[in-house]
Amino acid sequence: MEIVVCVKPVPDAETKLRPAPDGRTLDLEGAKFVLAGYDESAVEQALLLKDAVPGSTVRVVSFGPPGRTEEVLRAALALGCDTATLVESPPLAHSADVRSVARALAAAVKKLPHDLVLVGKQSGDSEAGMLPTALAQALGHPGFNGAVELKFDPTQKLFTFGRASEAGLERWECPGPVVLGLQQAGNDPRTAKLQNILKSRRATLDKVSLAELPTLDVAGATAEAFQLPPPRTGAKWIEYKTPEEAATKLVRLLKEEAKVFP
Amino acid sequence: MPDFSLTDDQTSVRDLARKFARTEMAPRAAECDRKSLFPEDIYRKAWELGLMNLNVPTEYGGSGLSLLDQCLIVEELSYGCAGMTTSIIANCLALEPILLGGTPEQKTRFLKPFCASYNLASFGLTEPAGGSDAGALATRATRDGDHYVISGEKCFITNAPNASLFTVFATTDPALRTKGICAFVVPRSTEGVTPGKDEEKMGHRASSTGTVRFDSVRVPVADRLGAEGEGFSIAMRTLDQTRTPIGALANGIAQAAMEHAARYALQRKSFGKPIAEHQAIQIKLANMAQSIHAARLLTWHAAWKIDHGEPATLESSIAKTFASDSAMRVADEAIQVFGGYGYMKEYPVEKLLRDAKLTQIYEGSNEIQRTVIARELLRRYA
Repeated sequence: MEIVVCVKPVPDAETKLRPAPDGRTLDLEGAKFVLAGYDESAVEQALLLKDAVPGSTVRVVSFGPPGRTEEVLRAALALGCDTATLVESPPLAHSADVRSVARALAAAVKKLPHDLVLVGKQSGDSEAGMLPTALAQALGHPGFNGAVELKFDPTQKLFTFGRASEAGLERWECPGPVVLGLQQAGNDPRTAKLQNILKSRRATLDKVSLAELPTLDVAGATAEAFQLPPPRTGAKWIEYKTPEEAATKLVRLLKEEAKVFP
Repeated sequence: MPDFSLTDDQTSVRDLARKFARTEMAPRAAECDRKSLFPEDIYRKAWELGLMNLNVPTEYGGSGLSLLDQCLIVEELSYGCAGMTTSIIANCLALEPILLGGTPEQKTRFLKPFCASYNLASFGLTEPAGGSDAGALATRATRDGDHYVISGEKCFITNAPNASLFTVFATTDPALRTKGICAFVVPRSTEGVTPGKDEEKMGHRASSTGTVRFDSVRVPVADRLGAEGEGFSIAMRTLDQTRTPIGALANGIAQAAMEHAARYALQRKSFGKPIAEHQAIQIKLANMAQSIHAARLLTWHAAWKIDHGEPATLESSIAKTFASDSAMRVADEAIQVFGGYGYMKEYPVEKLLRDAKLTQIYEGSNEIQRTVIARELLRRYA
């Protein structure tokens, strides 16, 4: 089976976020970019399918500025992906318009054999959750978002998976090629072994340059402003010596200030 | 000009160790410490990821890392739990004599099957009646045809209760002192090898430590490392390699202590403001940061010298001594920042002081290190 996984470099969860001086983007100077969240699960699921169906190949594709994108591709190779393709983005804001990203990724995916295109159901940073559908459209394949319990039936050549909806768990089956936005892998994501990490550092990445891409409609959607939420106020610290005093003061505040009850 | 920046390879192996320490080791550290548990599942996972036989070349199934790389990993692991780290890196110490004194045939025969699956090894030098005076070994090796017969007892041996392989130092003639010492590889399965019970320790309680008795253990001459009488030199050269990572281990404890203290100081209030705003606390934190920074640079420098094949007995002794003394000071001050809470077992810092203490004692006590430092120093002015 030929599997392509598309991943996005996202800032490490410990990054302290702040707006950039232009007020429209995030200041990610010096941030560490990682393979994270649903993308990590998508890679894990692809590797599980590879283990289950002998002879399968997992190719990982990522779109973004070279440095950070190379990092997540190497992380995916260290985990066990077979090849990696870096689709170089123009030096644009951190999150480009989703249709542009889908078109750029599709241009690279089309060149690779694929029965299944796996992506995280949403990215670990902007969490828009639109890419799986946009990518399916750009590739002209059926697409589903929020897939769980993904399996492949080799005799019928069908992918089977669940999809949580308000009514319960939908059961789907679909022949390839198909684009799936993965909600959860069958396993917790594995950790790369030291030797594989070192090997991945020396691996050659396939590159798709800007010139090879279709015109990207980067102006499709742009961020107008980016601000941190206002600092939270309203929390009060009650100083007290006895529990009775704390309770009395709390009740007074709830009545007089929070007006929770008369 | 020296280059203090880490390569991409180094950052990625450090990040692997960091992730492992924070997600696998740290969450279990307090429980293993309290109950003196040996978390074999964690050690097995460390082996699976390649975090165990760090110094063994890849051709024999190890990770084949430079000493500086090893130090980066050890500091991260120790930040998660020093005791677990002691058990994880004990293989490096136990296998180093084979790397230094073994023939290619011995390396292939011992290291390949050992590294191919999860196995623990122990370094058997210290004896009940002799620690620092390593030349005064009482364990005897008596030649009998194409075998040696080994009898004696080793103590304070890391991982001994769980090890499948021992590197053992014994003397063919105590009167020869250091010149009579030989190094041997002894599988635990050999008749007459009896590991004792796991000792109750002050710190490093997730690690196992015990005695090993050798009762007329027959070891083939082919399992002796180096020439007869070369054992002492192999032991000392082994410790020259492994001393520096003990500095790194101490730095991991100190880093954890400082971070706990800094976070606590920002959140704990006294006299109407966070205690981090009191100068008394700021001075403590600043001293901790200085001490850790200096210790880390000394450690990296010693490792760098060894990696470049330069003599580094002085530097590695300085690094180990300074870093372990620093870890004790930093852990002590971290408890002080926590005040009464720091003295409680419910909080994480008292463990760090108990863990730091061992780094001043094992792999060459700091007193012996200072003797070495003074000897190296005085030699230059004699």
